[in-house]
Amino acid sequence: MKKSLAMLLVLVLMLSLVSVAAFADKAVTLNVVTSYGGDDGNRKNFENAVKAYEESTGNKVNDGSATSNEEWKAKVLTDFETGSEPDVLFYFTNADAEPFISAGKVVSIEEIRAEYPDYAGNMKDSMMAVAADGKQYAVPSSGYWENMFVNKKVLEDCGVAVPGPDYTWEQFLADCETIKEAGYTPIACSLVEVPHYWFEFTVMNNGTVENHLDVPAATDDAAAAKWAAGLNDIKALYEAGYFPANTLTASDAETVELFNSGEAAFLIDGSWKVGYFTENAEDLNDFAIAYVPGKGERSASEAIGGISMGYFITTKAWNDPDKREAAVEFVSQLTSDEVLSTFVTTEVTALVNGAKPEGLNPLQQSAADANANITAIAGAVQDSLTAEARGDLFGNVQNVVTGKMSAEDAVASAIALN
Amino acid sequence: MDTGRKPGPKILTYVLLGFWAITTIYPFVWVLLNSFRKKGLIISDSFSLPLGEAFTWDNYLTAWERSDFKNAYLNSFLISGTVTVAVVILAGLAAYGLVRYRFPGRGLLYSLIMAGMMFPVFSTIIPVFRMEAVMGLAGTGNRWLSLLAVILPQIAGNLCFAIIILMGFIQSVPIELEESAYLDGCNVFQIYFHIIIPAAKSSFATVAIFAFLWSYNDLFTQSFFLRYPQERAITGLLNEISSQAGVNYGLMAASVVLVVIPVLIVYICLQKHIIKGLTAGAVKG
Amino acid sequence: MSSMIYKKKSPLILFLVPAFLFLLVYLYYPFFQNIINTFMKIGGLGRAAEGLNEPWYENYQRLRTDPYMRTALKNTLLLTVCTVVFQVGIALILALLVDTIRVGAQFFRTVYFFPIVISATALGLMFNLIFLYKGGMVNQLLLSMGKLPTEVKASGKVLVQWLDWKDQSHFLFTMLMPVMWQYVGFYFVILITGLNNISPDLYEAAALDGADGWKRTRYITLPLLRNVLCTCLVLAITGALKVFDLPWVMFGAGMPENMSWLTGTYMYDQTFNKMNVDYGSTIAVLIVVLGVILSNVANRIFRPSEDL
Repeated sequence: MKKSLAMLLVLVLMLSLVSVAAFADKAVTLNVVTSYGGDDGNRKNFENAVKAYEESTGNKVNDGSATSNEEWKAKVLTDFETGSEPDVLFYFTNADAEPFISAGKVVSIEEIRAEYPDYAGNMKDSMMAVAADGKQYAVPSSGYWENMFVNKKVLEDCGVAVPGPDYTWEQFLADCETIKEAGYTPIACSLVEVPHYWFEFTVMNNGTVENHLDVPAATDDAAAAKWAAGLNDIKALYEAGYFPANTLTASDAETVELFNSGEAAFLIDGSWKVGYFTENAEDLNDFAIAYVPGKGERSASEAIGGISMGYFITTKAWNDPDKREAAVEFVSQLTSDEVLSTFVTTEVTALVNGAKPEGLNPLQQSAADANANITAIAGAVQDSLTAEARGDLFGNVQNVVTGKMSAEDAVASAIALN
Repeated sequence: MDTGRKPGPKILTYVLLGFWAITTIYPFVWVLLNSFRKKGLIISDSFSLPLGEAFTWDNYLTAWERSDFKNAYLNSFLISGTVTVAVVILAGLAAYGLVRYRFPGRGLLYSLIMAGMMFPVFSTIIPVFRMEAVMGLAGTGNRWLSLLAVILPQIAGNLCFAIIILMGFIQSVPIELEESAYLDGCNVFQIYFHIIIPAAKSSFATVAIFAFLWSYNDLFTQSFFLRYPQERAITGLLNEISSQAGVNYGLMAASVVLVVIPVLIVYICLQKHIIKGLTAGAVKG
Repeated sequence: MSSMIYKKKSPLILFLVPAFLFLLVYLYYPFFQNIINTFMKIGGLGRAAEGLNEPWYENYQRLRTDPYMRTALKNTLLLTVCTVVFQVGIALILALLVDTIRVGAQFFRTVYFFPIVISATALGLMFNLIFLYKGGMVNQLLLSMGKLPTEVKASGKVLVQWLDWKDQSHFLFTMLMPVMWQYVGFYFVILITGLNNISPDLYEAAALDGADGWKRTRYITLPLLRNVLCTCLVLAITGALKVFDLPWVMFGAGMPENMSWLTGTYMYDQTFNKMNVDYGSTIAVLIVVLGVILSNVANRIFRPSEDL
């Protein structure tokens, strides 16, 4: 009698152990790092989506997201080098990602689809970023655009019309002069901190939207000439006094505030800035999205934009049988049509069915209207530069505009580091 | 403590001291006031009292949302407390050994420590990170390992400074005390614990305060090693305030206040020991 | 000086080993790697070295000819001098003064420490607001005192010519002043502790002999503080060479126009922003070498008699 009782107990014990084990390996902890942290506009949306994922799968997400800046990028790369990379990573898909792509630390979409054929099925393949080896690795989220923000009130006070899609450089120069005479600052820009946007557009103005992504290989090729011409255009604007008086020592926050408080008329910035004005502008109706003046072969209706970041699944997670499924499910959920529609208002997406954003505020509506008139977009050519070259080029803008260095030398110095 | 002082210089003394005190208090008061001010008004109007319309708890609420306070404070205190204790113990021992003993290589060790003080943290952080990753400490996502990963390099970073300071103070402890204890039959360790430490108590307190403070405020090392929410320290809040859209000054002010208050409390407590040390450390006869 | 207590050397090991073990693993070994890095080609943070530079001393050559490095050295030297004169100097005066009073001594001790308690990053942000171009506290004060030229445009709009505190003619002041101000409290605490180690008996004896006030400071306090002052000097040199947080937040990237570089900020920029990891390591080596030389000089001047 006792023996059978003992046997029964052992059986029950084993069964419970098995069932606990079965439940135990169902709950996986996923290490995730994205740029949707800190003050990012989409942080709330991201956190909601993560919570929904945790509830639906029972997995836990260890969220190491932080604000995207150079330090964050450096940390991510260091993590890959030391073997402490996360399981899922939302990161840039350009030259910044090459270090870990070429080291084989992330899984290609092709390989994932071999096992999960529906992976990223809601995305247009043609719009997903292609790495240097020709394969695709990252599933995109929301993209970005760069265009001209205008302070309508300032323009009105100066008697200048809001730019339309056929805005020319000559008109722009004339308008700037008018604005300056009236006592306002025409362009809000910190040349020491953020010359990036003006660089992109002045380069495009000296080339075409089709060849915008050409990177100079030698100091005397067409692309190098384009870049030098672009820098010289910025120099001309600086010498005419259209930038703020302290553009060489101001921070980006300062110059944006200048624009926000009705002291400056024009600001080139990106889609992410719409959220800033939504929160900080006294009256959103004072602002609008217009067009960056065109020159030569570029028309003002051609802008910069695209998708520059995406979700990577690391080889580390892929090779872990427990995490593989969890990671794939995570990315799929966070790039689903429903979730992306909360992230996106006016940005580009790769969604086959497009995003369905709801309730656009006046500024977003203005952006959507401008987007409707955009005839072509090109990615930012600076994304194809290595971080070293980029840092060098933009660090030299202040030298070029003050005449300490010629534009050609600045370009040459940068491409030598590329 | 002093007799026969004329009242005139005393007034001047207080005026000078008071002036400097204002410059040190004012910024903190300014930060405190601005932490209650609506974000948009900070740039335009940061030097008045935030009363009525301008008053808001928003900044603290946002800070509350951004990080788990209880956890963050706990992490900060664990890290800084451990570092402080370790530094005081290790540096005290090393300083005592270096000051009192004469041995070949003493000068070399001293120079090494001096050199060690010069190493900028940026140059050592990446090799340390790689080393700890190999050791299995860094980047694991495990809270305790990550905290340890921060504690160890911070101890080393503070040791050089602590040793130098303590060497200076232990040197000035009169050797007569130790000699009489030795004659009474104490060995070196007993001398250290019963004579040196009490005599240099205020110096140990000073070193402890600085070690705690630097470990606590070391934004760079902490943000490099502590990535996941459960391991983040309270200073990580300061990291959260800037983004692509610029600096959120309201949140910054609130973060500074939240970060600073515990340290002030620690300082005020430890500071009493410096004063006790003043009167107890004086040697008679 | 050496006593018979310390003739037996065996306990020494126990005293020294724990601390030096830490230092070896977490300070010297990584820095040694750093030195090796100065000869290698390193593509990005965290990446392994990709072979030797050509020529292997390339970074050191660059160090010699780099104009920004020269600016950084010049500025850092100026900073060191200012630190010694102002930070330590003011701290010394304050410490001596506080030492003479009883009422309120604790208050001042507590309050002078505040700037150090607030993290340097936050202080930098705060000073940015104080010196803000348009509407910062200082500029607003100047405006209300009528010191800023204004211009009325045809449209009726009034344009104020704000003073740019970060431009070429003002940046030195704006950069040095906050750094100076922040660390006075640090030296103050060290000096106070040092002052308290001086026995009051000495003062009593001096008072009996008729020496008071300034005489007592000059003949008793200062000589006995020599050791501590030397320590402060060394710390000041170290601090100036490494200072980073405050100047970076206020004058990131050497603005204006690469004129405000300090050794600390330049090193950070090269390593983390410009991704020039091997060159950044070289600057680190330079910082250490300079620091060791300068502090040895300081030690030689202040403690010529002692063998430390």
